[in-house]
Amino acid sequence: MSTNELTLTPSQSPSVVNKLSVSPSQSLGAVRRPVNTKGWREWLFTVDHKKLGIMYGAVAFTFFIVGGVEALFIRLQLALPDGRILSADKYNQMFTMHATTMIFLFAMPMAAAFANYFLPLQIGARDVAFPRLNALSFWLFLSGGLILNASWFLGGAADGGWFMYAPNSGPVFSPSNGVDFWILGLQIAGIASLIGSINLIVTVLNMRAPGMTLMKMPVFTWMILVVQFLLVFSLPVITVALVLLMFQRSYGATFFDVSQGADPLLWQHLFWIFGHPEVYVLILPGFGIISEVLPTFSRKPLFGYPFVVFSGASIGLVGFGVWAHHMFASGLGPVSVAVFSMATMAIAIPTGVKIFNWLLTMWGGKIWYSAAMKFAVGLVILFTIGGLSGVTHAVAPSDTQQTDTYYIVAHFHYVLFGGMVFGLFSGFYYWWPKIFGKMLNEKLGSWNFWFMVIGMNLTFGPMHILGLQGQPRRMYVWTEARAGEGLFNLGFWNMVSSIGSFVLAVGVLFFIINVIKTARNPERAPLDPWDARTLEWLTASPPKVHNFDRIPVVHHLDEFFHRKYEEDETTHTMKQVATGEELIRAEEAAADADIHMPGASYWPLLLSIGVATLGMGVLYGTPIMVVGALVVIFSSFGWVLEPSVPEPIDFDTPSHDGHTKEIAPLG
Amino acid sequence: MSHSGSPLSSEKAMDIVNNVKSSSHRIRNSIASIIGIVVLAGCATNAPQDTWQPRGDNAQVINNLQWIIFPMAGVVGVLVFAFAAYTFWKFTDRGQPIPSQSHGKPIVEIILTIIPALILTVVGVFTFRGIFELSNTEDTQMVINVTGQQWWWEYDYPAQAEQGITQPIITSGQLVIPVGTKVLLRETSRDVIHSYWIPALNGKKDAVPGRINLLRLQADKPGLFAGQCTEFCGLSHANMRMEAIALSKEDFAKWVANQQKAYTSPAEGTLAKEGEGVFLNQCIRCHQVNGLKKADGTPAIAAPDENVYSGAAPNLSHLMTRNTFAGAKFDLLNQSCRKDVWGAKPDAIGTKYLSGVSESCLNATALRAWLRNAPAMKPMYSDPTKLGPSGGKYRGMPNLGLTETDIDKLVAYLLTLK
Repeated sequence: MSTNELTLTPSQSPSVVNKLSVSPSQSLGAVRRPVNTKGWREWLFTVDHKKLGIMYGAVAFTFFIVGGVEALFIRLQLALPDGRILSADKYNQMFTMHATTMIFLFAMPMAAAFANYFLPLQIGARDVAFPRLNALSFWLFLSGGLILNASWFLGGAADGGWFMYAPNSGPVFSPSNGVDFWILGLQIAGIASLIGSINLIVTVLNMRAPGMTLMKMPVFTWMILVVQFLLVFSLPVITVALVLLMFQRSYGATFFDVSQGADPLLWQHLFWIFGHPEVYVLILPGFGIISEVLPTFSRKPLFGYPFVVFSGASIGLVGFGVWAHHMFASGLGPVSVAVFSMATMAIAIPTGVKIFNWLLTMWGGKIWYSAAMKFAVGLVILFTIGGLSGVTHAVAPSDTQQTDTYYIVAHFHYVLFGGMVFGLFSGFYYWWPKIFGKMLNEKLGSWNFWFMVIGMNLTFGPMHILGLQGQPRRMYVWTEARAGEGLFNLGFWNMVSSIGSFVLAVGVLFFIINVIKTARNPERAPLDPWDARTLEWLTASPPKVHNFDRIPVVHHLDEFFHRKYEEDETTHTMKQVATGEELIRAEEAAADADIHMPGASYWPLLLSIGVATLGMGVLYGTPIMVVGALVVIFSSFGWVLEPSVPEPIDFDTPSHDGHTKEIAPLG
Repeated sequence: MSHSGSPLSSEKAMDIVNNVKSSSHRIRNSIASIIGIVVLAGCATNAPQDTWQPRGDNAQVINNLQWIIFPMAGVVGVLVFAFAAYTFWKFTDRGQPIPSQSHGKPIVEIILTIIPALILTVVGVFTFRGIFELSNTEDTQMVINVTGQQWWWEYDYPAQAEQGITQPIITSGQLVIPVGTKVLLRETSRDVIHSYWIPALNGKKDAVPGRINLLRLQADKPGLFAGQCTEFCGLSHANMRMEAIALSKEDFAKWVANQQKAYTSPAEGTLAKEGEGVFLNQCIRCHQVNGLKKADGTPAIAAPDENVYSGAAPNLSHLMTRNTFAGAKFDLLNQSCRKDVWGAKPDAIGTKYLSGVSESCLNATALRAWLRNAPAMKPMYSDPTKLGPSGGKYRGMPNLGLTETDIDKLVAYLLTLK
C-alpha cells in the first residue's frame, strides 16, 4: 500500500496523517518511529516545538507552585522571632530548594517555554532547527527537576544554599544525599539548557523567514538569542564546578579541601562566572516579553529598537565581567574589588537605557491597559526599584554592609520577581489566546495583577529595611534581641513581609482560577485580539502544526502591524488597510503545497531516561549506572539511525484525497 | 508605511529632558525630605545591627558613601517614577488615533546614556577612594587573630607590649578592643567559610579556611556592638553571633591584666572544688582552662582535635568575664543585669562590663540547660550515632549526660572562672 512519494498538503501535516491506521511495509531506524500519535503519545513522543513549549510551561508552572510553597514555609517560619515551624535543618533545605527550584526549574524553563513556542513563530519558521534535540532538552529538564525534588523523600534535600559554597557543601559538612541529588539534577538540567541554547541559536541564525534581517527580528527573539549565547558560555563553567563537587563528594577528590592545598574560593569563582550571567539569563526573557507587550499596547514601535537590542547584548557581555561583585566580602583585595565595582556600575547604564526606552515607547502612544500591559508596566517600575538598589551595592564598601542581609534579598526579588516573573505573567496574558485560542479573563487578570503587585511590595519592600537594619539572610530564626525598638522594629517588618507573601500567593491563585475558568469557557479568542505587531499572529490560534501556511516574506520590523496599517501622509497617523483576520485568510488561501514536518520520535524520551538512570547510578551503585549507560547507548544509536523527517514509508497512504484545507477557527 | 515624521520631535524630546531637570529642581527637596521622613519613621530605633549607625572610622567611611549613593538612587528613582506616572496617565487610550510609528531618536538615546554614565562616574570616583581607604592596614596599632568555627568565633590576642599584652590571650564570644585604636583582625576559619560582621564598626569580611583576610575595626567610644556571622555556614548559622566590646584604654588595660591573671583553684571542700573535678572528668576533653591542674598536679591540657571535627572548642579561662556563651547565642547575664550593662552610658560601660558575671547576675537557667543537653539548645551535629562522615568527631557540643548534682557543681566552678 505504500508509495514512494507522499505529498503532504497543508491539511496533512503529520498529526493529520498520523491519525490514520499505519502499517508500513518496511521499518526505518532501530525501531519504527511512533506514527499513531494520539492521546498521551501525542505528547510523549512529540517533537513539535509548540507542544514542547506547552509542556515546558506546564512543568515550570508546577515547579513555580512548589517553589512558592517553599517560600511560604520560609515566611511562616520568619513571621515571628524564634520560629518553630521548621527545624534548622529543614529551613536550610527549604531556602536552598526555594532558590534552586525558582531559578532552574521555574524561571529558566518558563523562559524556555516561551522561547520554544514563540521563537520559531516570530521568525516565520516551521519548527526549530533540531526538533528531536528540542524534545530531548525538555525531557532532560524534567528528569533533572524530578531528581532534584526526589531528594525531599530520599533523606533530605540539599542544604547548602543555591550557591552551594565549598567547603560547606563537602561530604562532612553536608552529610545527607541532598547535595548529591542537587548536583545530579542540575547537571542533567544543565545539559538540557545547553542543548536547547545551541538549538535556538542555530534556529535564529538559519531559519528566519526571507527578508527578516537580524535587525528586523522581534526584540523577544533578540533577547532569547542573547540568553542562549549566555547559556552556551556560562553553563560549561557550572558544569565543571558541579563535576568537581561530584567527584569531591562521591569519589573522594579534594578540589575544595584546604587541608589538601585547595582553595575554597575556586568554587566561588566558578559558580559566579556562571551565576552572574545566569542573572541575565533569567531577566532578559522578561525584558524581551515586555518589549513586545509595551509596543503592542501603546500602538507604537519599540522606542530605539537598535538601542534596546544592543543594550541587551551589552548587558549580556558585561554580565560576564562582574561575577566577583558577589564576592566583595571574600577578601579579593582592593584592586579586584575596585575593578568589579566599576564594571558593576557600568552594567547599570545599558539597563537604564532599556527602562528609558520602554517609557519612551509609551510616550506619545495610545495605551491600552490590558492585564498583559499591567504586568509589563509593573515590571518597568519594580525592576527600576531593583536596579536602583542594585547600584547601591555596586558601591563595594556599601555592599560589605549589605551583602548577605535581607537588603540583597529585597534587591534580587525586585529584579527577579518584579522583573522576570512579572514579564512572564505579562507573556501569559499576551500570548494565551495564541497558544490556546482562548482569552484569559481580563477581570481576573486585573485581580491577579493587583494582588501580585501589592503582595510583592509587602513581601519584599520591608526586606530593604530589615537588611539595612542588620538582619542577615539564611537564618532559620531571628531574635528579638537584635530587632530594635519602636513600633516599626524588625519584628513588625518581618510580620508584614510574611503577610505580604500570602497576599502574593492569593494573586497567583487568581491566575490559576483564571486558567481553569478559561479552559472551561467555550468561547474562542479572536485571531488578532491585541492588534499585535509580530509574525506569530499571522497564523491560526493555536497555530497549525506547520505554523504558517505560507512562509511570510518580511519587509519590516513589526511586519504584521505594517501589513495592517499604513501611515496617512498628511496627519502622520496610522490608518488600517487590512484586519489581521483578512491577512490570515489570505495566507490560508495561498498555502504552500508541500510541507514536510519532522516526525515524532521515541528516542529523546528514552535517551533522557537513560541519562537520569546513569545519574542515579552515581548515588545508588555501579549496576544502575551500567543500565543507564546501556539505555543511553541504545537510544543514541536508535536516534542516529532514524531520519529526522519521516520518509513516506513511515506512513500509509492517506485514505482520502487530502484536499480539505485546515481553516483557522474564528473568535 | 513610512517611518518618517515623529510625534517625538527633537524639541519635544528635549522638553522631556528639560522637564525632568526642572522638576528635579522644584520638587527634589520637598519629595526627598518627605520620603526621608517616611523611611526613617518606618525604621526600628536602636536596632543593634543597624548599618546606618557607624561608631568608628571604618564604618564611617562606608556610611559616607551610603549617604552619596542612597540619596542619588532615591532622586533618580523619584524622577523616573514621576516621568513614568505622567506617561502612564497622559497617554492612556482616550480615543486618540494610532500614532505615527516612530522608531525613536538617537539623540535622546545618547543623552539618556550619557547622563547615567556621568552620574555613575561621580559615584565611581568616591567608591574607588573608599575601597582603597578601607583596605589600608599600614597604621595598624593592634592585631587580633579571629578564627571562625561552626558555630562560634575564637579571638586570639598575640603578645603585643604596646597594648600591655605580654602573653597571648585566647577568648571567644566577645571581642574586646580599646577605643580609638586601629585594630586589625586577621581572620581565618577552621572549617567552612564564615563572615565577620560588626555593622557599627565595619562591613563584612569572610573568614576563609586556608586564607587570612584582614579587617580593620576602630571604635570611637566605649560601647557594646552586636554582630552576626553572615556567610551561610551550615546548620546553626543563625546562632553564630558575635559581640564587640570597646573599652576605654584604661579599662582595656584592666581587662588585659585580668585575662593574664594566673589560675586559682577553688578552695578545698567547696562545691566549686567538686565542680573542678567534674570539669577535669568531662569538659577538659575539649575545653581548656589555662593553669588548671589535674589531681596529680600535672597540667590539664584539652585535646579538642581528638573530639571535635574542626579541631577546637572555646577556651573557658576567665569565662565569667564574658557576657555570653555558646557562640554568643546565650547570655551569661540574666536579663536585668544584661540590660544594666547594655544600657549603660559610654563612660560607665567599662566598669559594668569589667565586673563580669556574679552569682546573682548569672543566667543560670540557660547555662544549666546547656550543660544538661547542649544539642537541644542549639542545633549541632552531635548525635553520636550519626558521626560517620566526620570520622566519629563532633561538630558542636554533645549531650554529656551530666547529673543535676554534677551540673550544680559545674556551675559553681564556672562561676569562679573570673
